[in-house]
Amino acid sequence: MQHSNIFDYKKYRYFKLAVIVILIAFFAYLLFKPAVGHYGGSWLGYILGTLSAIMVLWMAWYGIRKRRYRSRGNTQGWLSAHIYLGTAMTVIATLHSGFHFGINIHTLTYGLLLVVVISGFFGNYAYMIYPRLMTENMGEDSLDGLLLRIAETDKLARQIALMMPDDINNIVARACRETSIGVGLLEQLRGFQPDCPSAIAVQQLTVLGNDLSLEQRKLYRDLYSIMVRRQSLVKRARQDLMYRARMGFWLYFHVPFTVALLVAMLSHIIAVLFYW
Amino acid sequence: MINCLLIKISYNSRGVLSRSYRTLTAEEISIGRGAECTIHLPDPRLAMHHAIIRKMDDGHIHLIAVNGEVAVEGSPLQNIELTHGKIVSIGPYQLKVEPAPPDVNLAISLLLAQRLPDDFQDLKSRTHEPLRGASKFKRRLSLWMAAFIALVFLALPIAQNLIPQLQIAMAQLPLGFDRVWSPGHISNSHLHFGSQCFNCHQVLTRKVTDQACINCHRETTPHITDPVLEKSVFKSTHRFSISNRCAECHREHKAPYPLTRQDNATCVKCHSDIKSVDPKTTLPDIKDFDRKHPDFTLTFRNSHTGKGAKKDIERISQSEKSRLIEKSGLKFPHSQHIGQVQGPNGIWDVREISCANCHQSEGKEMRFKPVSYKRDCLLCHTKQLEVGAADARLTVPHGSEQNVINALKAQSPKRLARDMEALKSEGCAYCHEIVETKKEDSLSWNVMPVSINQDWFSKARFNHASHHTQECKTCHQVENSETSADVAMPDRKSCLRCHSGNSPKHKRIASSCMSCHDFHSSIGAHKNFEK
Repeated sequence: MQHSNIFDYKKYRYFKLAVIVILIAFFAYLLFKPAVGHYGGSWLGYILGTLSAIMVLWMAWYGIRKRRYRSRGNTQGWLSAHIYLGTAMTVIATLHSGFHFGINIHTLTYGLLLVVVISGFFGNYAYMIYPRLMTENMGEDSLDGLLLRIAETDKLARQIALMMPDDINNIVARACRETSIGVGLLEQLRGFQPDCPSAIAVQQLTVLGNDLSLEQRKLYRDLYSIMVRRQSLVKRARQDLMYRARMGFWLYFHVPFTVALLVAMLSHIIAVLFYW
Repeated sequence: MINCLLIKISYNSRGVLSRSYRTLTAEEISIGRGAECTIHLPDPRLAMHHAIIRKMDDGHIHLIAVNGEVAVEGSPLQNIELTHGKIVSIGPYQLKVEPAPPDVNLAISLLLAQRLPDDFQDLKSRTHEPLRGASKFKRRLSLWMAAFIALVFLALPIAQNLIPQLQIAMAQLPLGFDRVWSPGHISNSHLHFGSQCFNCHQVLTRKVTDQACINCHRETTPHITDPVLEKSVFKSTHRFSISNRCAECHREHKAPYPLTRQDNATCVKCHSDIKSVDPKTTLPDIKDFDRKHPDFTLTFRNSHTGKGAKKDIERISQSEKSRLIEKSGLKFPHSQHIGQVQGPNGIWDVREISCANCHQSEGKEMRFKPVSYKRDCLLCHTKQLEVGAADARLTVPHGSEQNVINALKAQSPKRLARDMEALKSEGCAYCHEIVETKKEDSLSWNVMPVSINQDWFSKARFNHASHHTQECKTCHQVENSETSADVAMPDRKSCLRCHSGNSPKHKRIASSCMSCHDFHSSIGAHKNFEK
């Protein structure tokens, strides 16, 4: 039997709960319209706002909860609820706003909420897609294993290149010396490096292989195939880094914006209660 | 010919230094990666033919770069004279000119100064962890954003409220720090001061008080005519329960909605349980035009009744049908003035009359011009102003009795009494009610003054123009009215055919309180609002 995942946890328990919450909120929104249109300060607005605030706190609590080993419920269930109820909470907060937006703390709070939720969606997507791609990319290998193999090809390539003309030797030496994997955030996220020395080496080798002596030609063929293999290894290593970076990158937004959201929500509530 | 002693210095695996000596004899000594070189150094960082050592014409021995680079103290040179003690770097190797033994003309030592790095470790150093420093970045971003929001959106607005000096200083600026707390657009009329919150929100944590409104709206007319009642209705009550503060009905920060609420709840709040507001009132409870609304009450103006008989204006509910009698002073059966009627020229003169022949609308709201004898009656009713036998007919003017007498006196004074009698019984009395006068006057009777009610629903607003798609008879059933005492005003039921209450019903339009009523009329009320 296949294990349940975060989406169909306990036969979509939290999905159903989220749908019910959204439907109730929608019906309430349609049925009870204040005279001056929907706004956060109507009694329905207060109910929806309080509900969203409690849900935001609960969602944030997940961040603390998942780092604890001893707590009630299993983490998979919590994550399932976190995702589905987080989505429902976004709908409720939107209804709470009554679709009034302006340049103020209230809209800022809503905007931060959206950033948190959208980054959460991306994280969701990343965890759905990338683990499989990572396995496809790496197979049985680990990143260190790949690096070791690259290092071995380096050695081999250099040995062969010793017997080749200077230009070929330089290209190979440069490729071995300068190839880097995932240096810089942008490169990690893109998964490739523009002007990668390994790629350039392979490219230039094809051009330089023409005027060689007969013995060199055989070595050249070996060298070329080694360099091509090396390039594919480098590519795989970069891909692996890319997946891992992408699986973590959304947290750059999800976590700091959650902290910002909590402060903004506090300011929002204080502002409302102060200027009652 | 160079006779060269080559000392190769190397470290073994245990790090122990070892030297190997070799003597080379050649025309010139080539150094490089190539196997054919005299000094073969298998290192990828060297060129195939890196450099040569050659004896120059002047007898000095020089190191000359060929395809590679040679450098002394970091500066690359093309040609270096090898003198005793000179240290030259050839790629990763260090060449040092040693003191030459007597049988050779050059002694050099070669040391691999920069070993080839370990490939794996080297590559690892160039492979970064995914998202290096992520938690540091996240922590910093969190802190900065939280601090920024707490400062701009919380600390500064609160500080402005708590520190009076800051408040005063900020008042000079177009915006206060607390502007960021504004939940919505301010209405146009308040916009010029609304960007400073404290103008209205005078006390933190308290709702906007009526005093804040009255500071400007001093001359506001009271909303309820009875000053005592107004005070009891509009007193501010508890923070959480529904109060009757100004701001309860005049909602700010809700533009483009109008500042004043127009919904039913505004009215129903008090009128659904009116006794709780004013125990002495005789008004019924009203919730909804469809479900809970009393029958209409018509306004009668009894201007023609005798002195002190009844009050001038009387309001009678439509449910009291027996009292709905209009005393207009006219005898006017609507039934005979509608559809096909006989014209002034005999029985063959048949004319079609509709409501609009006499009730002529005017203005955008379709009010009606008062019915006038000259315009509406004269055409058919000239005969009623003629007296006397067919051969000696006299025509009297339509107007006051005195004018009629004067006209008769001038034309035929002898017949005055007879003619007046005829007018009393037939002429004037054809259309007008006649009252006998008790005074010893020139005339023993008078025509009752005409008083046609122009405003039956004085407490409501009705716009004929917005009902112009309907026929008159849909609401005013006068085809069978035989007397002018009949009041043909539509009742609540006939309105309910097309209108419903607060919510729309099947084929019935939703009609709120404000559809027909204005808020409490304040005409003649005292200026007690400030008290």
